[in-house]
This record gives sequence, C-alpha cells and structure tokens, in this order.
Amino acid sequence: MTDEHELIAGLARGDRAAFRELVETHKKKVYFLALDMVGNPVDAEDVSQEVFLKVFRSFDTFHREARLGSWLYRITYNACIDHLRKRASTPEPMEDEALEAGFRSHPQVSGPREATDPALAAEHAQLRERIERALETVSPQEKAVFLLRHHEDLALGDIAEAMGLSIGSVKSYLFRAVRKLRKELLPAGMEVSHE
Amino acid sequence: MNECAKCRDQIAEALYGEPTPEERAFLEAHLRVCPACASEYEAMTETRRILDSRERKDPGPDFWEGYWDRLERRLEAEPALAPLPVRKRARRPFTPLPAWGLQFAAAAALLVVGILIGRTLLRPPAPRIAQATPPAAVPVPGVEQASAPVLRARDYFERSKLILLGLVNYDPGASDVYGLNMPRQKRLSRELVNEAGSLKSDLKAPADKRLRELVADLETILVQIANLESANDLAAVEMVKKGVEEKGIFLKINLTEMGPSPKARTDKSPM
Repeated sequence: MTDEHELIAGLARGDRAAFRELVETHKKKVYFLALDMVGNPVDAEDVSQEVFLKVFRSFDTFHREARLGSWLYRITYNACIDHLRKRASTPEPMEDEALEAGFRSHPQVSGPREATDPALAAEHAQLRERIERALETVSPQEKAVFLLRHHEDLALGDIAEAMGLSIGSVKSYLFRAVRKLRKELLPAGMEVSHE
Repeated sequence: MNECAKCRDQIAEALYGEPTPEERAFLEAHLRVCPACASEYEAMTETRRILDSRERKDPGPDFWEGYWDRLERRLEAEPALAPLPVRKRARRPFTPLPAWGLQFAAAAALLVVGILIGRTLLRPPAPRIAQATPPAAVPVPGVEQASAPVLRARDYFERSKLILLGLVNYDPGASDVYGLNMPRQKRLSRELVNEAGSLKSDLKAPADKRLRELVADLETILVQIANLESANDLAAVEMVKKGVEEKGIFLKINLTEMGPSPKARTDKSPM
C-alpha cells in the first residue's frame, strides 16, 4: 500500500489512481459517518460521494501538515451538516410523510444466530431501534463526536483536529452525548439526578 | 470547579479509556466518596455497554464493489471536475460576473422564457393514447425521454413486487415451501439487485429522490432473498417478510403507482 505522503503527492498532482486509492481506503469510514449523520443509505451515498468529489476538486486547500483522515472527517461532517440544513429547509411533499414512516425503520441485516432464533432477532431488532431512536435525540455535533469516538475509535485529540474544536469541547460534547443516550436507553431506575 | 464537575469532565474520557494516571486516580478517589457521581459513572458505563451492541447498517459487498464505478460516473458527468487543471478554478468557483455579463444573462433568460411560453401555448394537444399503451412504447415528445428512469423504476418496482408478494403471501402452515419456487425467486432477485446500481445512478434528479430510496430499500431486501441459503430456510424468509413490512415497501410501491412522479408531472404540466 502507498504511504500517506505518496498518496498526498499523487492527489496534489491530480493523479486519478491516487484518488481511487484514497476512495477505496476511506469509502467505508466516510459512508458510515454520513449514514449515521443523515440517517438513510441513499443520502449517505450521495453525501459520501460529494465528499470525495470535493476532495478531488479542491485538494489544493489541504494543509500538508494535517492528517488526511482528519481532513476527510471534517469535510464529511461539514457535508452532513449542509445536507441536514438543506433537508430541514426543504418542505416534504405530503405523501412523503407516509413514506418517511417506512424509511425510519431500517433494520440491520440479521446475523446467523438471529436468523435461526426469531425471539433473539426480535429482541435485537428492538434494541437497535431504541438505540437509533436515542441517537436522534443528540445534536449533530454531539453525535459526530460520539460516532468518531465510539465507532471510529479516534482519540479525543484527533476528533478535536477533525472537527476544529478544542479538546475540552470534545470532552464536553462526548459527555453530553452519552448522557442523553443514557436517558433514552436506561430504565428509569438507573437515572441519576445530579445537576 | 468543584470536585463533582471535575469528575463529570473526566467521565467521558474514562468511559473510553483515555484518562491520564493522575486523572484516573482522582476519578477513582472521587467515585469512592460521592455516591451521585458513582451512580452516574455506573449508568454511563452501562450505556456504553449497550451502545457497543450497535452495528452499522452495512449495505453489502455489491454496494462496495460498485462504489468506485458510481463515483467515477459522477465524476465524468461533471465536466468541470474531470481534468485536474480545474483545481486552479476551484479556488474561486463563484467569481462574480461583470455587469455586462449579468445583462447578457438576463436577456438570454428572457428569450428562453419567451420561447418556452410560445411553445407551450402553441403546442398541439398530445395524443391521449399515451395512457392506454405501455409508456416505453409511446413516443410522446418531451415526456418519455425525461421520465425514462422513472418508467424504468416503475417497471423495477412492479417486478420486485411480484417477487415480494410470492414471499409475503407464503404461509408455512398452509403450503409447502417449494410452492415458493425459491430458485426462481432468488434468480430474479439477483437480476434486480444487479440492475439497482445503474437505476439509482439514473434517478439522480432531486424529484426522483423517493424513487431512488425505494430502489435502495428494495435492493437491501432483494439481496437478502438472493442470499437465502436454502429453500426451506423459514426463519430467514420470515426475516425478509418482516423487513418488507417494517419498511412499508408495498405502501411505497403503491404510492409510486398512484400518480405520475414529480418529474413526470413537471414534464407534462404544459399540456
């Protein structure tokens, strides 16, 4: 595999092979972050492709001292926020309300055990649904910090770099995200009153 | 900052294993003497454990294999992006036009609007036969080209619906599983999955968003059908049925059948 410096040099030259390598290396990270942020697979693919097109279009804005991965996450986060803003300002046609009801429930493809144990499958599906609903209660910024830490395993400092935030803010967003999720996911008995 | 506030600041780090030894020592000492923070920490840890069970919705190998091709098609479709010398222009993509440019653009726009109004008012009525004949075979000027992807999508939905109906109406208590003709269902599903990528790429107009999403939903379900391991894999069949129901697939297909798509409506509106 090409090392990151070579990849960056290739991208700066406008080398299509380097661009493809970038896409193949990072497509899943970019797509999954977009999917979690925008909530449906079609928009997620659209946003993720926008991200790569933007990278291709404006690679000369990349600072060589930055990390390519962090830069990509930042572009992805910004693209998702733009997408969510556009979606919020676009009124949906009436029939879409009925359609959205169907689109909101999008269960994960089941694993082998779930396929043979319908009760387990139902239980997992219910938990997944609760988690997805809980994630809708956090703000986009809190959600992005949580996703980058929880799913992408980025260190807090890397998240701060990717999102252009201080580490203190990242900690605060992460705490608030997990706390909101806790309120949605845990039974009332485990709630803590500590304001 | 009081100790509880300091503790809360460190809980997030502690949850994901990042505190320094000093921070960890402070946290542990505080949790021993503060039941409220200890309880909060316990609840947050439990939350994290629950969240660990979250899996992301992987669209499957076909999606990933075709990702670059779809991106490349989009790249080619945007001529300003294809050759990289564009990078210089990309620095200031919205350079304001000079005043004469704006005047020229306004005049051109007026001319185009005039032509469109004239063509709309003077156009002879379109043949009514269009409704009675299969849409793809009807050469109605100005309609079929613009809505070709929409027509393809409807055909796609119709074929998918037939497969799904066979599966959804299957009753294990009333008939034997071979009544499903599973090999045929799987083959047809595979064919539809193969068509989905190009169809989604063609349905790129904003007005086609819902159709595109429905194709994607169907693709997920059809992949499941195509991958059913055996004809009598009843649990898996049930999962597919549940997916169809939860996503409201039939409702969505019926809505697309109830009227022309927004795009087609736009195309037909001058009539």
